Amino acid sequence: MMVSFFDQFASPSYLGIPLIAIAIALPWVLYPTPSARWINNRLITIQGWFINRFTNQLMLPLNVGGHKWALLLASLMIFLITINMLGLLPYTFTPTTQLSLNMGFAVPLWLATVIIGMRNQPTVALGHLLPEGTPIPLIPVLIIIETISLFIRPLALGVRLTANLTAGHLLIQLIATAVFVLLPMMPTVAILTAAVLFLLTLLEVAVAMIQAYVFVLLLSLYL
Amino acid sequence: MLSRLVLVSGGLVQASRSFHQSSQSLAPVPPLPEKGGKVRHGIFPEELFTLLYPKTGVTGPYMLGTGLLLYMLSKEIYVINHETFAAASIGAVVIYGIKKFGPSVAAFADKLNEDKVAKAQEVKDQAMASLAQGIEDEKKEQWRVEGRHMLFDAKRNNVAMLLETNYRERLHMVTNEVKKRLDYQVQLQNLHRRMEQEHLVNWVEQSVIKSITPQQEKESIAKCIADLKVLAKNTQARATV
Repeated sequence: MMVSFFDQFASPSYLGIPLIAIAIALPWVLYPTPSARWINNRLITIQGWFINRFTNQLMLPLNVGGHKWALLLASLMIFLITINMLGLLPYTFTPTTQLSLNMGFAVPLWLATVIIGMRNQPTVALGHLLPEGTPIPLIPVLIIIETISLFIRPLALGVRLTANLTAGHLLIQLIATAVFVLLPMMPTVAILTAAVLFLLTLLEVAVAMIQAYVFVLLLSLYL
Repeated sequence: MLSRLVLVSGGLVQASRSFHQSSQSLAPVPPLPEKGGKVRHGIFPEELFTLLYPKTGVTGPYMLGTGLLLYMLSKEIYVINHETFAAASIGAVVIYGIKKFGPSVAAFADKLNEDKVAKAQEVKDQAMASLAQGIEDEKKEQWRVEGRHMLFDAKRNNVAMLLETNYRERLHMVTNEVKKRLDYQVQLQNLHRRMEQEHLVNWVEQSVIKSITPQQEKESIAKCIADLKVLAKNTQARATV
């Protein structure tokens, strides 16, 4: 059987047990529950501070009705960050490289925003389809364009996350292989190692990825 | 937990409360240890070294690690492939990050906690300060109460003085009035006497004038003229001398 670079993205299963379940459930272990103490240890303090700060930032553009999404968005953010950062370790599997998972996040959440918007304020929600101040002849075309853009949103969200992570992991593998193969021929290795290192720090921008994901999700909240 | 659930015959599960049935309670919470467990090289707990020390000395765990690593490499249980380099890179990034930002992050976390404690402490201090201030004020009030009798004495003196002044003024007024009345009477008597005197003098004059007869009047006038002539002669004589 041919070993390809894409094998790392195959969903792992052992004796028929899909191990992706463990990969998804395990990151929860890394975050200790805030205890009943008033002054906690450093980890809980920092974790609490970070989540508070992030949720505040996230809720800034929203009115009070949008604050119902705070729990969902904050936990989504933490989940995605953890999974992506853990995927940077060697010999790990990143669940978010699977399109199924990402679409499973994107479509229901996007649909929720659309349906809730339609249910509560149908005119305003439909009004978003037409930007203000368009000249009259352009209106039909613009409606079609805005509808297409509306429906493409979940697709974009899911595919963006998948593509970014998959590409990143693939690049790491490729460059690491290049370093490995070129090791008998010394000088090039140094340069390539530096490149790998740099790429890795760039990939710690998995965090930024999550920012983008959640933020876009948030922006589609015209509730 | 199981003691809290009671299985009823219908298969329903109900939760029954069981409070304070053991001597243990949640408060006061035992304090957290000051520092985390000691580790060597960032990952290996110190207990491993302590465990191996009696049998293998100081270098024991290091030999164990090296041996394990070489064993896995030589038997190709762990194969060096491209992922090794990826692991090395990410290891380098992680270690760099921890070494560079570790202390500042720890200090930040400590500062967050300390700020919390400082705020509570400030509340406590303020409460204590305000209570102490209250005690001071109360003492001052008690001292003031002690001095109250002096205040009353002074007030009493004031009032007495006012009364005295008032009394004296009225006394003066009365005296003046009485004196005025008496003066009036005195003047009246004086007036009477004077009038009587004048009346008497007038009567005497009148009677004298009446008693002067015309004969006497002519004689007195001739005498007066003769006297005047003599006087004039004397004066002329004195003047020429």
